[in-house]
Amino acid sequence: MRCFKILILISCWLSLCVLPAYSAASPKAQVQATVDQVIDVLRDKQLQGEPRRQTLSRMIRARFNFNIMSQRTLGKYWRTATEAEQERFVSLFSELLEASYIGRIEDYSDETVSYGEEKIEENRADVATTVHSGNTHIPIDYRLVLKGDDWFVYDVVIEEVSLIRNYRSTYGEIVRKENFSGLFKRMEEKIAELRQSSGETTGQ
Amino acid sequence: MLNIHKLILSLTLVLLFGVCGVTWAASDAEETTSDSLSATEQDWTQLDDDEEELVVWDPIEPFNRGIFWFNDKLYFYALKPVARGYRAALPEPVRESVGNFFHNLAAPVRIANALLQLKGRKAVDESLKCVFNSTFGLAGLFDLGVGLPANTDGEDFGQTLGHYGTSAGFYLVIPVLGPSNARDAVGRVADSLAHPVSSPYYLQMKQLEVIGVRVHQTVNHLSLDKDTYESIKKEALDPYLFVRNAYMQNRAARINK
Repeated sequence: MRCFKILILISCWLSLCVLPAYSAASPKAQVQATVDQVIDVLRDKQLQGEPRRQTLSRMIRARFNFNIMSQRTLGKYWRTATEAEQERFVSLFSELLEASYIGRIEDYSDETVSYGEEKIEENRADVATTVHSGNTHIPIDYRLVLKGDDWFVYDVVIEEVSLIRNYRSTYGEIVRKENFSGLFKRMEEKIAELRQSSGETTGQ
Repeated sequence: MLNIHKLILSLTLVLLFGVCGVTWAASDAEETTSDSLSATEQDWTQLDDDEEELVVWDPIEPFNRGIFWFNDKLYFYALKPVARGYRAALPEPVRESVGNFFHNLAAPVRIANALLQLKGRKAVDESLKCVFNSTFGLAGLFDLGVGLPANTDGEDFGQTLGHYGTSAGFYLVIPVLGPSNARDAVGRVADSLAHPVSSPYYLQMKQLEVIGVRVHQTVNHLSLDKDTYESIKKEALDPYLFVRNAYMQNRAARINK
């Protein structure tokens, strides 16, 4: 019996040592690391307002590749855009996504995240997660690309709906009708709106 | 009764004329010029191989936007305030049980459609779940976790039509009910004939009772929802386009499952 206990202890200890080293390159482990970091920040009652927003922003920017996301969102319009327009789009788009994402997770309460399977194909990966909130379970899949040692998110699929493909249809239609100037104006307005409402909820 | 039949007939006609609805454009592949990209660099403006460009056919967009506007007002000025009061009156576990009850009630619709699509495993799982939850789960108030995970989206007749190759047809926003398309609208009518509450064949509830049950179901659902629509409205550059695309993507994915 005692022997059994010792065995369990040893195997626990071993898995603790081995797991982080082994999973360094796994996309699932990297997504999990970011999600855990974000949840820690959200649970930290000391960290509020602007410093909190900046911490979250740093974590998100380290895991999401906004450049690739921008290219996918604009599709054929990316190729026709000037370099200045491309740069401006990436900068506005990152701000917009970040503000949306932070706005969503700010009222985090008792949600938990569980991790499903990961599919790796060459330099692409798909990590399935589920967000549990009471009786509802929302499937959220991350699509990642490998750059160096790190996996970067280039699309998020919520309940079978790819966000990038969704943006692609909306943004494409706006560029077609109102050109880049119209799109940038709309994006700026949206960012200001989101910043303001998230400022209200965090009591800034 | 006659009205329902007329409605099915007219919607079927509409569907027949609108079959070419959603077209899966080949993501304008011919436009791709690789001159700006080196051989190793990937062209990220193209979607992945397993993704298809979803082009929604929306010939009645101005009309749809009008209904969308109406539903938006209905949501903020009627449904949401009622749902808030309802949420305050009943504790969450009770509302979750009510949600389970309604979900279980619609089991015949899901089972029938799983069978129609010859998805034997799914039909068995749904049936087992329904039998256990209806009996030991006290008329479906409790989900005992048999068969399928709680609140799994089931099959419906819109998916059955899609499964056999019917395309979505034009996009359609239905008053009160929200986003749909020609195919799914026909599916809704067919499903309502199989649903215990609205079916004219068994319980035979009165029209007003049916509406009452539907309103209760919607309010209960909204009371458990965490402001999904509010988030969309807050974040999306054009909420109408966001909902339209999200609906079509979700339906396409569920049909392929």
